[in-house]
Amino acid sequence: MAENNANVPSAPPAVAPKPPGPPPPKNPGMVTCTIDGREVISKPGTSVIEAAKTIGVEIPYYCYHKRLSIAANCRMCLVEMTNAPGGKLMPACQMPVAEGVAVQTQSNRVLDQRRATLEFLLLNHPVDCAICDQAGECKLQDYYFQHDLKPSRLDVPKVEKEKRVVLGPLVVLDQERCILCTRCVRFMSEVAKNPQLGVAERGNQSTIVTFPGKPLDSKYSGNVVDLCPVGALTSREFRFAGRVWFMSSAQSLCTGCARGCNTFLDYMSESTYRYRPRENEAVNQEWMCDDGRLSYKSLNVDRVLAAREGRGEGKALPRQEAVTRAAEVLKPLAQSKKLAALFSPVASLEDLLSAAVVVKEALGLTRVYVGGRPDGWQDDLLKRADENPNRKGLELVAQAFGLELRPFSELASAVAAGSVKGVWAVGAEVPDLAQAPGFGKLEAFVCQAYGTNALTPQATLLLPAAPHSEMDGTFVNFEGRAQRFELAYWPRGASRPHWALAAELGAALGLGYRWQTSRELFEELGKRLSGALGDFQWDSLPSVGKRSGLTPLQAGTVDGRLPGYRERVAPEVSEDARLALVRNP
Amino acid sequence: MQSNDRQMPASDLDAPMPSKRMVLNMGPSHPAMHGVTRAVVELDGESIVQMKLDIGFLHRGFEKSCESVTWNQCFPYTDRLNYVSAIMNNVGFALAVEKLCQLEIPERASWLRVIGSEVHRICDHLTLIGAMGMELGAMTVFLYAIEARDLLWDRLTELCGARLTSSYCRIGGVARDMPEGWDQKVIQSLDRVAELREEINGLLARNRIFMDRTQGTGVVTREQALEFGFAGPCLRASGEPWDLRKASPYLVYDRLDFDIPVGANGDNFDRYMMRIEELRQSDRILRQCFQKIGPGEIIASDPRYVLPPKPEVYGTIEGVMHHFKIVMEGIKVPAGEAYSYTEAANGELGFYVVSDGGGRPYKLGLRAPGWPMTASLPHIMKGKLLADLIPTFDSINMIGGEVEQ
Repeated sequence: MAENNANVPSAPPAVAPKPPGPPPPKNPGMVTCTIDGREVISKPGTSVIEAAKTIGVEIPYYCYHKRLSIAANCRMCLVEMTNAPGGKLMPACQMPVAEGVAVQTQSNRVLDQRRATLEFLLLNHPVDCAICDQAGECKLQDYYFQHDLKPSRLDVPKVEKEKRVVLGPLVVLDQERCILCTRCVRFMSEVAKNPQLGVAERGNQSTIVTFPGKPLDSKYSGNVVDLCPVGALTSREFRFAGRVWFMSSAQSLCTGCARGCNTFLDYMSESTYRYRPRENEAVNQEWMCDDGRLSYKSLNVDRVLAAREGRGEGKALPRQEAVTRAAEVLKPLAQSKKLAALFSPVASLEDLLSAAVVVKEALGLTRVYVGGRPDGWQDDLLKRADENPNRKGLELVAQAFGLELRPFSELASAVAAGSVKGVWAVGAEVPDLAQAPGFGKLEAFVCQAYGTNALTPQATLLLPAAPHSEMDGTFVNFEGRAQRFELAYWPRGASRPHWALAAELGAALGLGYRWQTSRELFEELGKRLSGALGDFQWDSLPSVGKRSGLTPLQAGTVDGRLPGYRERVAPEVSEDARLALVRNP
Repeated sequence: MQSNDRQMPASDLDAPMPSKRMVLNMGPSHPAMHGVTRAVVELDGESIVQMKLDIGFLHRGFEKSCESVTWNQCFPYTDRLNYVSAIMNNVGFALAVEKLCQLEIPERASWLRVIGSEVHRICDHLTLIGAMGMELGAMTVFLYAIEARDLLWDRLTELCGARLTSSYCRIGGVARDMPEGWDQKVIQSLDRVAELREEINGLLARNRIFMDRTQGTGVVTREQALEFGFAGPCLRASGEPWDLRKASPYLVYDRLDFDIPVGANGDNFDRYMMRIEELRQSDRILRQCFQKIGPGEIIASDPRYVLPPKPEVYGTIEGVMHHFKIVMEGIKVPAGEAYSYTEAANGELGFYVVSDGGGRPYKLGLRAPGWPMTASLPHIMKGKLLADLIPTFDSINMIGGEVEQ
């Protein structure tokens, strides 16, 4: 046939009509589709989940995470799409939006599929809510209540696995609770760049494992606990420590290094229970390192909570009396030029501003020695070698007040040489604690400290200082980015923030400043930084945790309260309470 | 407050002794003021010139408290409104929330709610009668009434585990079913209560002292009662046949045969007789209920609003999560507002609830049945004898828990 045809002198072949091309995009450069009947315009390549979020449609998911690669293995996000091959349900996390496609997220097929998926996920899930750390922030609970609400149909025993597999120094795995979303596996290989986790076995025997004999000891292992959408990966520090629905959250910062990772500080009464990373695209995305994650412990233990006079055990005395005594001993030393000031870059910007005023205007010093923790490890992801959260802030303050910054080693040798007879330390963190015994020579050593270390026993006057969990303030990170943190609970014991102690000392030395809040202080002294902080606004911290008056409660948060509501007074009240605190300490 | 102005005598024979006005604190520590109420009365001789009522010291903050607990956690708070008839408060609140949820409750739950309510209505009226008798000097009556009331409270203990604070309702139904043979026990108790009731009535209704102190005192005309916003027995005693169980039947009241007694004079005696007659009617209702109640579920099966059965909670992950979400976050009542009105022992008990779709009430308002009567007391008593204050205060039945909420 073909040959015959070839021999026939042919008429020019009829031009087959071209199939009609796709219609031109409705919005050039963008993709326009409809989700649940509403038009969505998004960038090409946007996943359906993200596109749906822009119009407030929540598609449930476990395995999807916007900062990790797509696995599409949990099957919770299946939706109907008109361009799906064979009309199958498609994973919304994996499918990009396409021009003219209609997506259904609430059709009966989709809802049935979610119900079925949840039933499978829950099939072998242990009855653990009562003892599970994740209860209250668990996606299984949330989605079951939203999408399933059907009783169990399982009539055979559940598959039993290991309940407590110690994966590493910070993480414990409960294999029974795991839904194998593999977020942790992907995080370790893609973000932490340290692929220590994997999935072993098949079917319902699958588990998350480390390599044989190798622990999960990455410096970022704590993040897999946050990432785990269920209670499978738990933090060894937080495990069974407290129930999340009793906790409140303050927006805080990690003080572990100069990065200044944004955190939620979860607290209950006067104890901090954990840090969780808070999303900030520019600083830490939503991760933090394990050292930073554990740095909350110093807020709870080994704190200095009362003023003390005399070295060693010394004798306790009321804080105000101690401040007056400090002024008495520092004044003659300042006049005889035998006094030095030691500022710690762990203290906040407000603390350092207040201290700088006292140094400059009351004590007449022109140089300040820099304390602070010694350098530590560093990597390319988050951790900085400088383990002080506010070194940049200290430099800005020194610049603003014309103070010369000198290293701690010079102070140590000056003390040893006897040219310095008195030291006022704002913060007891020093790079070289081996020098601490040398401070025993000092005539007067006024030390404001959060907690005890080798230096504090040498103090002739020890003043209790309140760390960042107990004040409102600012840290300037290594990039010069000023970031606010908020008060979680009132200063414990007799402690007060450094700025308040410095202001009391200044008042005892005859200065006229009477700040009652750190906000007031910053309003007055922040001007002296003359724009070094860029467009930073002190009130810039978005208030998410506070509820005042008749603001409606949001549905869906743990037990209906906004995070941080339970133990927090309304902002307008807290201002009064703060004033009362200052007036009647 | 002193004043020397004397009223002009109508005749020389009526010429009063010159007297100073006296301001008297009645209560709060006065046996007739129920321990929580203070009446400041300005007296000219024995007549009340004016009166102020300090409604008490309970300061419960009921409406506001409800905003910070989940919907089901409100029930114990409603118990303490009219603490003598807690189930009726439970029912009123449950009906308001169910209206918002558009939740149908099973028939048996409706019957059980009516049974609980009517038993508590009897308790409430018995309390009033007993207290009224006692405060007018008839201690025996009080003892008889309390005997009857305790008998019923024992039955209620068997039903819901508490004499006073029942917390019997849940959104979607009731907490427990009747125990085995409970209906027969209640009927036996009702027989004894009926005996006591008739004995009490025999002691009071033809008692010269009681009649003198209650007939023609504390009169509220029908028009006044309507203007004051009365509802319940006090309104009916003034001659207005208004009862929500008939006017706007809820639960299964439309399937029950009972009468609405109506008074003629609106005085304390009528209000007393109203209670006695309502005791008889509630007795009638209860006996019908036990005949008509059928088997069935006692709580709706909608999992969005109702806790899963306990074996599921303890045995399956689905059950424990379901339980956790409802207990910790509360049921998600659809956004909107609703008002429920029920005939409580003292009148219209209204719950106005607003939901924002969350696990807790956004706003809750209460129309306390006793409040209009309590508020009108200074007006009723103007110019009347001090001694009449006692029976009037008794017969309007102010209950601190609901009035001072």
